[in-house]
Amino acid sequence: MTTAWYITAAITLVSTLMVITRHYPVHALLYLNVSLISLALLFYLMGAHFAALLQIIIYAGAIMVLFIFVIMLLNLGQETATQEKRWLKPKVWIGPCLLALILLVQFTYSLSLSKGETYINNVVEPKAVALSLFQSYMIGVQLAALLLMAAVVGAAHIGRHKRTNVHRFLQHKPDES
Amino acid sequence: MAPNDFLALLPLLILSIAAVLVMMLIVANQSHRVIQMASLFLFLTSFLSLFLIPVTLPYAIAPLLLIDSFGVYMMALIVFSALVVNIISYVYFEGKEEGPKEYYVLLFLCTLGACILAVSQHFVSLFLGLEILTIGLYALIAYLRSRQRAIEAGIKYLILAAFSSAFLLFGMALIYVQTGSMSFSLIAHSLALETDLPALFLLGIGMMMVGIGFKLAIVPFHMWAADVYQGAPLPVTAFIATASKGGVLAVTFRFLTSIDGLRFHVLSASLVVLAMVSILLGNILALQQKNLKRLLAYSSIAHFGYLLVAFVPNSPLSLPAMSFYLSAYLISTLAAFGIMAVRSDGTEEAEELASYTSLFWQSPLQASILGLAMLSLAGIPLTVGFTGKFYLLAAAIQNNYWALALVLVLGSILGIYYYLRVINSLLKGGTTTGALPKTAFPYFLVLSLVMLSLLALFILGLGVFPESLIGYLKDLQMGGTTSVY
Repeated sequence: MTTAWYITAAITLVSTLMVITRHYPVHALLYLNVSLISLALLFYLMGAHFAALLQIIIYAGAIMVLFIFVIMLLNLGQETATQEKRWLKPKVWIGPCLLALILLVQFTYSLSLSKGETYINNVVEPKAVALSLFQSYMIGVQLAALLLMAAVVGAAHIGRHKRTNVHRFLQHKPDES
Repeated sequence: MAPNDFLALLPLLILSIAAVLVMMLIVANQSHRVIQMASLFLFLTSFLSLFLIPVTLPYAIAPLLLIDSFGVYMMALIVFSALVVNIISYVYFEGKEEGPKEYYVLLFLCTLGACILAVSQHFVSLFLGLEILTIGLYALIAYLRSRQRAIEAGIKYLILAAFSSAFLLFGMALIYVQTGSMSFSLIAHSLALETDLPALFLLGIGMMMVGIGFKLAIVPFHMWAADVYQGAPLPVTAFIATASKGGVLAVTFRFLTSIDGLRFHVLSASLVVLAMVSILLGNILALQQKNLKRLLAYSSIAHFGYLLVAFVPNSPLSLPAMSFYLSAYLISTLAAFGIMAVRSDGTEEAEELASYTSLFWQSPLQASILGLAMLSLAGIPLTVGFTGKFYLLAAAIQNNYWALALVLVLGSILGIYYYLRVINSLLKGGTTTGALPKTAFPYFLVLSLVMLSLLALFILGLGVFPESLIGYLKDLQMGGTTSVY
């Protein structure tokens, strides 16, 4: 399992390096995805199964989708279709796919071992995570909630469009948006 | 959580409830005036509750927080600064293009973050508090979002703060790898027998210093200060300069003191260098500034250099000297920014030094307050700034840090030049070029001026009779019960 750990760590580094050196954002995103998944595998190998799952669900799932949405929204226009074809040539796919394949092989191998052996045999159960979050670090969780509130209120203010009232009788209060 | 925990956390609970309450008021479509009065009331309640915490201090809420008398004093400074910022905000934001409602929600959350910093004894609460503070500040800095400078300042702060947070987090992780714990007392425990800092720990604390140095804007992490100060709305600038930096300074002091880090030569030597460079460069950069906001930005770099002077000697005098100087700096800075905010109008910030020419003959009260703040920042006798600097010098010389003391004196001499330049232009005779005094919001203008006059009285009063405050600060305790985690 030690070998698997080092291979995964190497894949994480390589894919992250590829993320910051790609010219097109879409290519960078492909590698970012691999980087996030391999990070999840690292968590798994270190016995943090729950964190690995969260990593997949939140980063590789939700946040990646957001990224893709933003990039798609930014690239509206006539030549978008041809541009996309130019960007997504097969050879672009080869690198990320290869890395992801290695990860898959390692994952299935480690699952096939009878004891579910990992790099560090100190498995943290979801129950332990929940207990430490909602007992000893309760205040931390609540602070995180306030952190999100600050982020949401701030983003709502910065991103808000000025409401334009079409009717002339409604145009008296421009700052009530 | 035990019932007593809630009592001990009362000031913080009030701040977080206040943020939600103000949001409800916004939903109910209340006017700016109602929201302003409500938040003023809530800030006052939170401030007063600090003096009435009904549990014996120090009180640990394991594993994250430790409420001790040092933390309570720092929280009092932070909430007081936020209170003053809140008062001057009405006059400033009324008549601006943005409805200033979310501003108050964010102000409460930022204050909460800074207060969490002041009482945290764990990396988790340190990081969460810092992030609440910074994320609120991103939005506050860019609050007047139709102005180009504001967006520029917001983006600059966003990128640099995120970068420095990453440094901070990585540093914490390295320290965790080395010591196996994230609570200050346990880190101290695992370091207790070391005579030299382990390499990983050194790397970790170095990275943490980068993150913290950025938040405090000490040289060489000061590049953002002037632009962000200039681009942010004036009350927000006042908040960054006072409450935000005060909270970060408090947690840095607590961390370094509780792990007794300064007995390691590497750390104390690097802090000495940081302090010296900050003092000299901050003052030199401020010399030729014609913009009052930028001038105060550079002067705050120098002032945090002075505050580091109190850290390094690691003597019993360090804590009272630092607390006293921080109080002096907060009061003077708030008074200066307050006058600037009161004099700003709907489109222009009153930030050019030229617009203060011969202000004294036009509005003696405002000019006197601003002049007094400048004198105090310069450290002229009979103001609180002088007593504070004197105290810092005493702390440095007591432990034979002569080089530091000399640089402090040199920096103060440089400082006098540009602070007196401001006073000179205030007193200059001739035609006035500045804006006419505001008459649009008489009640709040009077309230702001009363508050600022009160600050001016503090500057004088604590300068002439500092004994009461010094006596109080000498009794401040840091640390206490060790946590079990």
